[in-house]
Amino acid sequence: MAGTDYRCPHCGAELRGDMRKGGSRPGGTPGCPYDGLAYSALRAGHDAIYFGPWRRIDAPPTEIRRGYHRIGRHLDAIGAELAGRDLPAAARDLDAALAALRAADPREERRDTLRFMDNALSYAHRAIDDLLHEKGLPPHQPMDFSEWYDVVEVPFRDEW
Amino acid sequence: MIDLERYPRQITLRNGVTLVFRPMCRDDVDRLWVFFQHVPPEDKMYFRQDVSRREVVQHWADTLDYDLVLPILALEGGRVVGDATLHRQRTGWKQRVGVVRVQIAPDYRHLGLGTAMVRELRHLGEKSALHYLMAEVIEEQAAAARAFEKMGFVRAVTYRDFVNDQKGRIHNLVVLLYRMSSSPDDPVI
Repeated sequence: MAGTDYRCPHCGAELRGDMRKGGSRPGGTPGCPYDGLAYSALRAGHDAIYFGPWRRIDAPPTEIRRGYHRIGRHLDAIGAELAGRDLPAAARDLDAALAALRAADPREERRDTLRFMDNALSYAHRAIDDLLHEKGLPPHQPMDFSEWYDVVEVPFRDEW
Repeated sequence: MIDLERYPRQITLRNGVTLVFRPMCRDDVDRLWVFFQHVPPEDKMYFRQDVSRREVVQHWADTLDYDLVLPILALEGGRVVGDATLHRQRTGWKQRVGVVRVQIAPDYRHLGLGTAMVRELRHLGEKSALHYLMAEVIEEQAAAARAFEKMGFVRAVTYRDFVNDQKGRIHNLVVLLYRMSSSPDDPVI
């Protein structure tokens, strides 16, 4: 998808792509697929990374480094949301994500960098789902938002 | 003692249906018995007790002790559609290990309810100062194993030809462990 990064004027989410694709609202403001959802910025932040160019098989090192730093900012945002909340399981998921990201440092050009980055994002997703669960909401499903992104894979769905 | 003030709580599934999670109480005998009557025979084969007998469920209700067994029910109106239990021991060598079991009504599978109930058990385990949660599944129960793994449980061991079902057939038993945040620094998994 052609387009550039921009910030949603409604929920503050970091989005990538054609901002007109979300449709127009009265007054001519662009729509946002995450607008009105709980933890919209965290969801959007996750999906921008999840569907990001660093996961392409031909991703150049610059995109991998960009993805790495983006995951770092995403984990910071989750940490800020968890601060002051008594949610030990979510905090544990965030710790696991941070540990995976530390192991993934792309400057070292390790063979496992992408796998560790993927693990960090999975743990981050689980922490977001922990937050949603506390509100009684269903887990975040990135594929529900896939039309906004260049989808690079079909992820696993719950079977149970 | 686990703080149960969070109950009852509403949980919305992916299809938009809203359920209530709450601990089982003495009045739940009939609705839980009905729930177990609708469990498919292939799932019942792996149960430890004959839950088709009402007196078995009645005995659970009569001996409810949340510090030993905490059953969390998922209800749609008055109907039980999911049952998740956290088993603990007050004393002894396994007092820091909680055993979890989850059963979902057939028409509520593939909606994320199993994952939500495992997530709830994980929260309760963290709140009860346990070091590990342990789940046991028959190797053929692949979807259940995946739901536990998705929530951070790790396959610790598989016992080959270890358990038998109610028809006498032998199965592999998979033990999954979840390490709690209060577990020792030197983990077994």
